[in-house]
Amino acid sequence: MGSMEGLFSGFQVAFSIEGILFVFLGVFIGTFIGMMPGLGPISAIAIMIPVTYSMDPALALVMMAGVYYGAVFGGSSSSILLNAPGISGTVATAFDGYPMAQQGKAGKALAIAAIASFTGGTISVILLMLFTPLLASVAVVFGPAEYFALMLMGLTAISSLSDGSTIKAMISAVLGFMAVTIGIDAQTGTQRFTFGNINLLEGIDFLVIALGLFALAEVCVLIFNRKDSSGGMSGNIGSLRLSREDVNEMKGPVTRQSFLGFLLGVLPGAGATIASFIAYVTEKRIAKRPEEFGKGSIKGLAAPEAANNAATGGAFVPLLSLGIPGSGTTAVLLGAFLVLGVQPGPLLVQDNPEVFWGIIASMYIGNVFLLVLNLPLIPYIAKVLKVPRPLLISLVIMFSLIGVYAISFNTFDLYILLLFGVAGFLMRIFSFPAAPFILAFILGGMMEQAMRQSLTISNGDWLIFVKSPISATLIGVALLSLIIPLLKKKPRLVADDKNLKL
Amino acid sequence: MILRPINRKLGLALALLAGIYLLLSYQIPSYPYALVDADVVPKGLGFLLLILSILLFVQKKEETEQEKEKRTIPKKELYVLLGVAGFILIYIFLLEIIGFVIMTATFVFICSSFLGYKKYKVSALVAIIFSFLLYFLFNYLLLIHLPPGVLPF
Repeated sequence: MGSMEGLFSGFQVAFSIEGILFVFLGVFIGTFIGMMPGLGPISAIAIMIPVTYSMDPALALVMMAGVYYGAVFGGSSSSILLNAPGISGTVATAFDGYPMAQQGKAGKALAIAAIASFTGGTISVILLMLFTPLLASVAVVFGPAEYFALMLMGLTAISSLSDGSTIKAMISAVLGFMAVTIGIDAQTGTQRFTFGNINLLEGIDFLVIALGLFALAEVCVLIFNRKDSSGGMSGNIGSLRLSREDVNEMKGPVTRQSFLGFLLGVLPGAGATIASFIAYVTEKRIAKRPEEFGKGSIKGLAAPEAANNAATGGAFVPLLSLGIPGSGTTAVLLGAFLVLGVQPGPLLVQDNPEVFWGIIASMYIGNVFLLVLNLPLIPYIAKVLKVPRPLLISLVIMFSLIGVYAISFNTFDLYILLLFGVAGFLMRIFSFPAAPFILAFILGGMMEQAMRQSLTISNGDWLIFVKSPISATLIGVALLSLIIPLLKKKPRLVADDKNLKL
Repeated sequence: MILRPINRKLGLALALLAGIYLLLSYQIPSYPYALVDADVVPKGLGFLLLILSILLFVQKKEETEQEKEKRTIPKKELYVLLGVAGFILIYIFLLEIIGFVIMTATFVFICSSFLGYKKYKVSALVAIIFSFLLYFLFNYLLLIHLPPGVLPF
């Protein structure tokens, strides 16, 4: 089936009444949760998973994708209005967005962010549509050794690119991998680390990890900040209108950073946060008046917004074409796919074209919805920031507990959830990034299987991983990405700007 | 003091964890027909964690102010966290005995009040509507049956 034909069938899914409804629901809920300072896209997706259990997979995934990019879109509003980024991908948005809002131009800032996000999102959907089938057709020939190497590279990349210490990120990844070894070994039937407890035979569900490590840990942070007054700026946001000069000024950075953001999103480990910082820094470097940055520059606001939304689209490329997530968020999204019985990967285009193209087609519609939601309706939506924190905290805790209970009907898993909530909180306090943990947890099982399959093929010869040029290259890149940051100090690019405000 | 930098304490704790994990890995029963047995990956992971925790222990990197600030929590807030964790434990313990609707409504109301929300009427209303809404959404729309407990429906 050609791309056009596939896209057409995808549009049929996305343009059906249910399709439109669920895209809307997804982006709306995503915007809502993304705006909440502290709650990120991982929590948003994890909280929504139980709702999708009995839904049609294509529609459910269209909605989940909407939740993801909606959360990135929504995160920018709280960055601009409150200087409290809803998610880490919109931290850079606050650098110039908040000063602009302080000058009484919040409406203009929101409009710039919405248009830049829309452009970044749409350009990246077009690129996603072009690249994903291409990559999928290459990946069809991948054997277990190549897959193992690819996943290894994904893990090392996320470890070396996450903020803070690389060693801590690697420890986090190893712990995630360890967590997935609990349960019955799929290949020999041997029990590992179950302590004879029947509740552990099937291992720990990924939703328990995602909700514990992210949603519950984020709740702890919300508890600390519960007294912050919120919604201060939402009273009068000023005009949304942009002048011709404003638009001209945006054009360059938005176009450049949409493409760059997409590329960074495709790369494993990078994603929206890094894309937005790099966009901000590069635009500042090439700007004619760099001194305006940080004081309400249009370019400084438009660049990270275009980049983070473009990166979100880019992150779907490895997920849909290879079945391998490159970030914590797409790892949870992969979990959502698997819950619904859909296996992303090179065969997805052939086996479930309506899912594959449905998601891509729905992103066009989702981006239009987001533009509508975020332009005229933003003053009303901004009111959600006024939801009293104590109430919000209680509700998020309940959503997490119900989500886990609804998959297992077992209170044992709830105790484990609480345990991971504590673990996630400790990791946050001691600056261990949690994204490598969840990625390793999702990839761990597949990696172990791929490794053992490869060794079985080669009759125990470990050289199989370097015999194929593809896997040898990938393993080489993986090793380099670990060694370079250990030798060098942290990349100053990200470090410099993060010190500004976090 | 030798354990002065926080990373040393963390490194030691993680090395201990790696040790326990390795000990358990060596007790995994072997399966005679597998070329690569179930214990290979766990052993590898255990040693990897051990190496990484040693690296964390010996590295000289100073803790940044930002990191230090992140882990200083006022005592009072810690008690608040423990309080909420206690509520969650009670909730889990009683969920299947008392039932979803009553426990959820009670949790939302008590937890919100505990965290300092003083509009009791609003929070009682939200608690009741939220728990009934979710119960009906899950039981009748999504066909996922949450525990009814003492309530008859």
